[in-house]
Amino acid sequence: MKKSLASASVLALLSSGGAFAQECTDPVQITWSTIAGFYTDAMAGFVKSFEDENCAKVTVVNIDNSQLYNKQVIEMVGQTGAYDVVTLETAEKAEFAENGFILPMTEFFKDKQAIIDDVSPTLRAMTVEYKGDVWGLPYYTYSSGMFVRQDLLDDPTEQAAFKAKYGYDLAAPTTWEQHRDIAEFFTRKAGDMLKGQPLDKDFFGVGLMAGPFPEIQDELSAPLWGMGSDWLNAEGKVPVDDVEKVLNDYLALMKFAPRAALTVTYDGVMNQMKDCQIAMTHGFFLDQWPNAVKTEENCAGAKMAAIEAPMKKAYVGGFLLAVSSSSANPDMAMKFVAHIGGPVIQQQFAEMGGASTLTSVLTNPMFATPEKRTTNGQYATLNQVFSSMAGFSSNLFKTPFGAKIYNTMQIPLQSAASGQITARQAAEQLAADVEKICGGPCPIAN
Amino acid sequence: MSSTPASSGPAAMPKTKGAGLSDRWFSVLLIAPAMLITLIFAILPLAQALDVTFRMGDLSRGKIGDYVGLENYRVVFADSAFWQAGWVTLKFTVVAVGLQMILGVGIAFLLHGATFAKGLTRSLLILPLATSAAVTGLFWRYLYDTQFGVMNWVLGSLGLPEPNWLGDYTIALWSVVLFDIWQWTPFVALIALAGLQALPKEPFEAAELDGASRWRILTTLTFPLLKPVLFLVLVLRTIDCVRLYDAVAVLTRGGPGTATETMTFYLYRTGLKLFRMDYASTMAVFFLYVMLVAAVFALTPLLKQFTDRAKEA
Repeated sequence: MKKSLASASVLALLSSGGAFAQECTDPVQITWSTIAGFYTDAMAGFVKSFEDENCAKVTVVNIDNSQLYNKQVIEMVGQTGAYDVVTLETAEKAEFAENGFILPMTEFFKDKQAIIDDVSPTLRAMTVEYKGDVWGLPYYTYSSGMFVRQDLLDDPTEQAAFKAKYGYDLAAPTTWEQHRDIAEFFTRKAGDMLKGQPLDKDFFGVGLMAGPFPEIQDELSAPLWGMGSDWLNAEGKVPVDDVEKVLNDYLALMKFAPRAALTVTYDGVMNQMKDCQIAMTHGFFLDQWPNAVKTEENCAGAKMAAIEAPMKKAYVGGFLLAVSSSSANPDMAMKFVAHIGGPVIQQQFAEMGGASTLTSVLTNPMFATPEKRTTNGQYATLNQVFSSMAGFSSNLFKTPFGAKIYNTMQIPLQSAASGQITARQAAEQLAADVEKICGGPCPIAN
Repeated sequence: MSSTPASSGPAAMPKTKGAGLSDRWFSVLLIAPAMLITLIFAILPLAQALDVTFRMGDLSRGKIGDYVGLENYRVVFADSAFWQAGWVTLKFTVVAVGLQMILGVGIAFLLHGATFAKGLTRSLLILPLATSAAVTGLFWRYLYDTQFGVMNWVLGSLGLPEPNWLGDYTIALWSVVLFDIWQWTPFVALIALAGLQALPKEPFEAAELDGASRWRILTTLTFPLLKPVLFLVLVLRTIDCVRLYDAVAVLTRGGPGTATETMTFYLYRTGLKLFRMDYASTMAVFFLYVMLVAAVFALTPLLKQFTDRAKEA
């Protein structure tokens, strides 16, 4: 029955598309600047359906993630109209909104409130809303939790040894102190035993992303937010003592991570996991679940789990689709945003293994089946993360300087991670850099 | 007499050029396209950059702002990261260029004296130069990889320490230097080899007949005759190293921390990550000024030598 319904839908879609194609002689041109890679490849098919339904021609411009922000800002400042739809990282939203680079979509979504309501309130607060307006829709979320080797936590030999050493039961960490203990416990040399078997290479307690990429700040957001602090306090300044504290804890963890921690980004950590080198991650992007779960194929007896980060706080982020204020066709661009971020496409995106942003998709029982575990197995955890973080929003996302701060902060943080400077010096340098960027205390929107 | 070449030449020239142009205007016409391109793509942007150095220029706020006098220069000169980047650039340039010159000239001498597989070796030397640093840098990043890289695999197999090539702040810069040496030493070698092959034979034959030692020939004949070529390579490599960006961007992104952040990379970060075009332009103008001064000092003897030779000819 399901099959015949699906076939009928496809036929209907094709026939309507075909009919439109005959009528559509002068399609409206829009251009979408976005991130090269899976996120965009998966969207190519959805772009086609939008074109067919709306008599539009969408040109997708793939840009490497490291250059996307720069390129978009230049086009926005020049008001070139080169991009109608732009893709923004969470920390960039306020800057684009404040400077008039993107158009508010509050009015547009007035009769489509259901779509906005479908975005988890936590994700909505972080990625969609700014100063009471709606600025687009996220189409992909890389919100963080943690990945652990559940088989290690469940092993009776390891449990007994852990209890003997630390005096409490080995289980998924709920505090950062426990996380540290587990990282230390599982750090072993080649030849040592793990789950009763000798290791043929060194094994590490944790994989860290301390390389020269804007990810060490994503990791550190988890303990910083977890301790009730933020990258910017209410006065718009960096809380130096708090940053120093989490950075010192992070430095202590570096001992239990592969040395490559200082050069890798998220894919490097995933490679370490799949290469049976690490027991768990720090705060980590849950969208990487399909990658992480491959560890089970590579490492004998491995069982992966996606869990919430200790203290139930971690980086929440998503790629926001927004409409450029210099767009020549803003109406069509807004329709496109609603199309890609809307429930139909998000459902299809999820079926392809994408990390959807809509609650209706994330809670859809069809993705909770054992067959879907390897592609969508992180959805339940993602919902828990959003639920645990309900009502939370970082000041980093409420300042129009958020993007610049975000793009700068890995430098002092990584300097400390590499031992070039101390945690205190890094925290002070970060505070000075932020003050320089904002020209004083950073303005924080309510 | 009117039909002699001396008098008929100049008189006939305007006819062939058409429109009765004088030699002076004809030469102006010839260089005009090049000058126009230079004006549009170099002089005008430079003038605009100079203008921006005296203004508030936070591009992400939408536009270039009001004039602020010398404030940007004050900020840049007081910026420790700027001087740190300058120091990194200087260290990189001195070591990389120095080693490239020594190794390159050494290879050139070996090749010059080689009797076997000379052509093949010369062709192989071109390979590192044939691909951009952005691509080869990516290969090297994998070679340097602490866990999966070939370098550490080889070192580990030999029981030697396995460095964290790009992650250890004490050696990351030297890892970039090593990459640059791999890529650009062949350039020095090939140019030096061409210079060696172009040297006149007579003075060397005379020196041999006079019983001069190899060392004497090398110091009194080979190097002095090769000096203009080597000097040119030195200047070219220095300029290239001073504006190093691509290798850093691909290998380390300036990290760990700021350990490999060169002047150009810092300029890029300031201009295109923070969008402070005012600071970036100020750095660029200062950078250009330093380079111009250095170039004038470095190139004057060379230009003089070329001019003298032209006069002699």
